[in-house]
Amino acid sequence: MSLYEEIVITRDLTIGYSDRQGSIKVMSDINVSACRGELVALIGRNGSGKSTLLRSIVSLQNPLSGEVYINNCPLFQIPKTELTKTISFTSTEPIDIHNIRVSEAVASGRYPYTNWLGTLSDEDRQKTEEALTLTGLIRLQNRKIYSLSDGERQRVLIARSLAQDTELLVMDEPTAYLDLPSRYSIVSLLRKLSHEKNKCIIFSTHDLDTALNEADKIWLMKSEKICQGAPEDLVINKSLSQAFEDPFLSFSTTTGTFSLKRNPVGTVSLEGTGQLRRWTERALNRIDFKIDPSSKIVVYTELSGENALWHVQINANEEKTFRTLYDLVNYLAILIPADV
Amino acid sequence: MRDMSGKVAYIRFIFIFLSFLLIAMFLIDLLSGSVHIDLSEAFGSLLLGKTNDNGLILTQFRLPKAITAVIAGAAIACSGLVMQTVFRNPLAGPDVLGVSSGAGLGVALMILTVTPFIHTGNASWLQGWGLILAAWIGAGGVMFLIMTVSSRMRDIMTVLIIGILIASAISSVVSVMQYFSNETMLKTYVVWTMGNIGNLSPSQVKVLAISSAAGLLLALLEIKPLNAILMGETFARTVGVNIKLSRILIFASASILAGSVTAFCGPVAFIGIAVPHIARLLTGSSDHRILLPASLLTGSITLLISDIISNIPISGSVLPINTVTSLIGIPVILWIIIGKKGIKKTF
Repeated sequence: MSLYEEIVITRDLTIGYSDRQGSIKVMSDINVSACRGELVALIGRNGSGKSTLLRSIVSLQNPLSGEVYINNCPLFQIPKTELTKTISFTSTEPIDIHNIRVSEAVASGRYPYTNWLGTLSDEDRQKTEEALTLTGLIRLQNRKIYSLSDGERQRVLIARSLAQDTELLVMDEPTAYLDLPSRYSIVSLLRKLSHEKNKCIIFSTHDLDTALNEADKIWLMKSEKICQGAPEDLVINKSLSQAFEDPFLSFSTTTGTFSLKRNPVGTVSLEGTGQLRRWTERALNRIDFKIDPSSKIVVYTELSGENALWHVQINANEEKTFRTLYDLVNYLAILIPADV
Repeated sequence: MRDMSGKVAYIRFIFIFLSFLLIAMFLIDLLSGSVHIDLSEAFGSLLLGKTNDNGLILTQFRLPKAITAVIAGAAIACSGLVMQTVFRNPLAGPDVLGVSSGAGLGVALMILTVTPFIHTGNASWLQGWGLILAAWIGAGGVMFLIMTVSSRMRDIMTVLIIGILIASAISSVVSVMQYFSNETMLKTYVVWTMGNIGNLSPSQVKVLAISSAAGLLLALLEIKPLNAILMGETFARTVGVNIKLSRILIFASASILAGSVTAFCGPVAFIGIAVPHIARLLTGSSDHRILLPASLLTGSITLLISDIISNIPISGSVLPINTVTSLIGIPVILWIIIGKKGIKKTF
């Protein structure tokens, strides 16, 4: 057995749309793969073709050229009935039904396994219950979906896809519209499922933070091509900073985060240590002051007991003291036009 | 699953309640009318075959009428339910989307243009299968048109407005046809538009029953896809629903049902939209395994009640059934739009 059990492989895939007028290419030369037990995050800018790629992988639309292989078998050769038991797809389409309970919605993932009426067998019930337990929804199973929070609703979609009992789970933007804690809880849930249940989970997201922290592998859509690797690989080889290259945005390879690029309006010499210094520096950066030890404006931080104090010295004779960063920042902002 | 037994018991109660109500309304419908017939008399003529004047009224007129109400109510409700699901539109229904108008156009073509040129020997065929076939073609044509439009435009309101436009266009065409047709034909047509479930001959009732059964069977076979489609089209496709095929079968079912009823009973207004909502409200379910039978029962009951009300003698004549169904249906629709704060939250 090889080290990598690849479930999805794409070979020279070109994705896009075709109609009677011709075809619109979204991206070509896509060569990526995803393995069993792996959480893969697909990231890229708006309109880069994330959804198109995912829809091509789950056979909701045909690629313009090239091939998707599922378990080393070309996608188009897999019979539809088998495909529905191998791949599940969660789109951004919400469940828009008033009268539906959580357990019913999750059980609908059993569609490929049930009879012509959709009657649930004991196995179907057991798989549904397992999916509810894994996603932490078991206590909410009799609630109607409309009464849930956005994060819980997203869990319902994930549970439904789990109930479908497939090796590959593909999800389009599962963290869209969620707040930060919910985003983290959803992505860490996906991570847990891929690792503990040995599933291959591919999800697209705009949220770099969670993707870089939680995913095993990143598929990164750049303007012309797609590259893959561990999140850290993509930071080191600068793919990430290139992909999101922008006149206003800079990517810090030390922290792995993006920040707005701005021109400094003034300089400050900062003296101090520890946390107090770090947050003071952040506040100064926010109002576009650059830290420069040769500056005529000197800011010292001082910790007296529980309270922090900031002293500002201009031209070595004038000194002011502030009790909050808010006041300090406002004072400095007024100083600028005077061109110190 | 836990805590579901209470819900199952509730659903069972609803079905038993609706079945009893159906039987009760059927009996009341048989007994109500301008000629008074009491229960013992009714049993006498129906079960023991006693033939007197009242017995004849019962077996020749009221019984076919009550059976028609049961079939037509169920059929039109089923048509409305499947259309609401496939269009994902709580205000869809055969009348709103112009499907009944399409059927009406077929009927108008039959009554106003074809019939006058046919020799009387073929007339009975024309009043049975010929009429219904014309209605199916008309209903199916409009359904196809709406389907094509809605696949491009997802907006609920756009589809509704187009349905209304189609209905108006058809009524204009029919007006032109009326202008050029003779008096007898015109009268036949105008009476038909008022809606009447009491004018069917036994052979017409048979045709209605057979064609409605066919439409219902199609809907029954599509229960599972309907449940998936209600969850969303992308979801349905990824769990293996053949969307194109399902849509064609469901629209065929809705066209056959709406067409059959419209051909024989005229345009039965608002039952198609309102009844599925009453069924949703009663069962608290969105599962078509429950909603479909509940809609059938509720549809039959509603049309029976409408017929009973329309038979209450007011200044010696009876009301057209269409007015009664509108008076029952419109408040339900208003409740959907106003009471539920937005039509998207009603499924």
